[in-house]
Amino acid sequence: MQRFLKITAGFIGGYVVMLSFHVLLTNLFEKKDVVMTAGFTGYLLWAVLMLLAFLSKSGWKIWGIYLLLAAVFSLPYLLKM
Amino acid sequence: MNNRNYNIYFNTHTISGIIICALLYVIFFAGSFAFFRNEIAAWQNNASYKTYKENHQSFDKLLDSLKGEANLHGRDINFYMHREGTSAYVGYTASNDTILNKENLSKITPEQKAEKKKGRRRRGGDDDSKNFTYNFVNQKVGDYAKNYDMGEFLFRLHFLAQLNQVPISVGIAPFGYLVAGITAFIFLFALITGLLLHWDKLVSNFFVFRPFSKWKTVWTDMHTALGVIGFPFQFIFAVTGTFLIVNSVLALPFSKLLYDGDQQKMYQDIGVSAKEDYAYSYKSLNKDVKIAPFLDMAKTKWPESEFLRIVVKNYADSNMHVIMELEPHFNSSFAGSGILTVKVADNKIVEEKSPLTGASYGDYVRSIIYRLHYGDYGGYPLKMVYFILGVMGCLVIISGILIWLVARDKNNVIPRKRKFNFWAANVFTAICLTMLPVTAITFIAIKVSPKVDQDFIYRVYFYAWLLLSLYYIIRRSIRRTNRETLLVGSILAFIVPIANGLVTHNWLWKTFVDGQTDLFIVDFLWLMIGIIGLLAFYKTKKFFQKIQ
Repeated sequence: MQRFLKITAGFIGGYVVMLSFHVLLTNLFEKKDVVMTAGFTGYLLWAVLMLLAFLSKSGWKIWGIYLLLAAVFSLPYLLKM
Repeated sequence: MNNRNYNIYFNTHTISGIIICALLYVIFFAGSFAFFRNEIAAWQNNASYKTYKENHQSFDKLLDSLKGEANLHGRDINFYMHREGTSAYVGYTASNDTILNKENLSKITPEQKAEKKKGRRRRGGDDDSKNFTYNFVNQKVGDYAKNYDMGEFLFRLHFLAQLNQVPISVGIAPFGYLVAGITAFIFLFALITGLLLHWDKLVSNFFVFRPFSKWKTVWTDMHTALGVIGFPFQFIFAVTGTFLIVNSVLALPFSKLLYDGDQQKMYQDIGVSAKEDYAYSYKSLNKDVKIAPFLDMAKTKWPESEFLRIVVKNYADSNMHVIMELEPHFNSSFAGSGILTVKVADNKIVEEKSPLTGASYGDYVRSIIYRLHYGDYGGYPLKMVYFILGVMGCLVIISGILIWLVARDKNNVIPRKRKFNFWAANVFTAICLTMLPVTAITFIAIKVSPKVDQDFIYRVYFYAWLLLSLYYIIRRSIRRTNRETLLVGSILAFIVPIANGLVTHNWLWKTFVDGQTDLFIVDFLWLMIGIIGLLAFYKTKKFFQKIQ
């Protein structure tokens, strides 16, 4: 169960965090530049987040952290809608 | 580094590595050859493009000859240039003129319709659009499957395009691309964990090589030494490879979130494609329809650039446009993308962006990704280095599989698991290592056989691969697989340039003197593979006997 949680947290949670982080960056930089940069930073960040999920002590905790991060990152986007 | 982290790195590295090893080997092996895909294509057809002089009149000649088979009026015509502008994928759409289109459609005979349905690439459906390839060197029109070459085959194999035939669709990409993309991403993950795993001993172990003690140390030292040396190279390929094959993983959600779901708009915004929506006017153009002057115009403006794509919009209509997308030659500028759109009726430039100056941030990122991946920014010496580093990647993968096996081949591992481990390693090495002889056999076959098309290459390559793999799987001796494929592969590698010389009389010293470097480089590559392969075989012979 722990292993399953960690894998899903890393793969799915990591993806959501990575995506919301880049969407957050569009508030600071031009969106076309962010989209292009994400071509490599996106995959790097995703892979690192996947590893961090494996390094965490508890699968529940890392899911919680990732969901929280994703929510915080997407706040500006959601507010603008 | 504490023990817990070390164990996590170790386990994630091992698991992710063993999952992708066989696929990754195929990708690296085929990919290494794919650096030379244009050269391989030229070599196969014995038609050097290095000695070809560019002439834009040939575009108009081609269009004139197309008029014999179809009324081009009102159609959009696409040229995707490749092989340094000497070859193109050409396609024309159905006419934008609704009346003409009906006329054209009524002319299609049922036979032609059936022929089109049969075609491998079912695009366009029921209209009279058409796709084909055109070779500017020998001015030959051909369809894709008939003009299929070994360069194309290995290039497509390196992102597993042949697996697209498997009818599993996940929505974001065809099956083969998806598998290749996932493999590339897991590879990135394995690289990061691998680096962290060796981080503490990176410097101290760098010079450790103990090949003459035990099997396990042979493979471990090879794996770490080559892995660390090749790390930057492999890292580049993991990242750019993931980007190139499955970027829809990012592009789809980005276009949904940031561009209201309009992907076309996003690609225009980041500067990938030119504006193309020029409406059809239903009025004929009152002048000669020639596109060569506009191509000349682009080349005089920016001599140090090459065409990527040429689009002729609304052929022979008063709103006809010629859209040209260019990229700089690597000697003049590393990054950049250019656009020149001209309205034919009044020769007015509608859109202009120089490929040589004023590269945007996005251009830089894109050029870095593409150029680093294709290795096309330094001529043949750089491609050779890329090839060697690519083959080193193959060795890292093979030694990785063998470490995995040797580390688990102990008495305290239960027999059932040991059996399974051996079975897995045996199958993996058989599939991977037979690629060298099989590739060499196919290179010889395409020279010897009088008629070569897609079916032929598929049949020779995949059946030879299947047979050899099965043979070594049944043989159940990894050492034999290792030794024999190296020996047979090297001998066959020698035969490749000889076969080429005998069939075409274009021996490698002749192509070298004539400046047909594209033909020369393929023969030279195989010769080198043969020499190094045989050296490796004899040098390790004694050692293999001693260590047993």
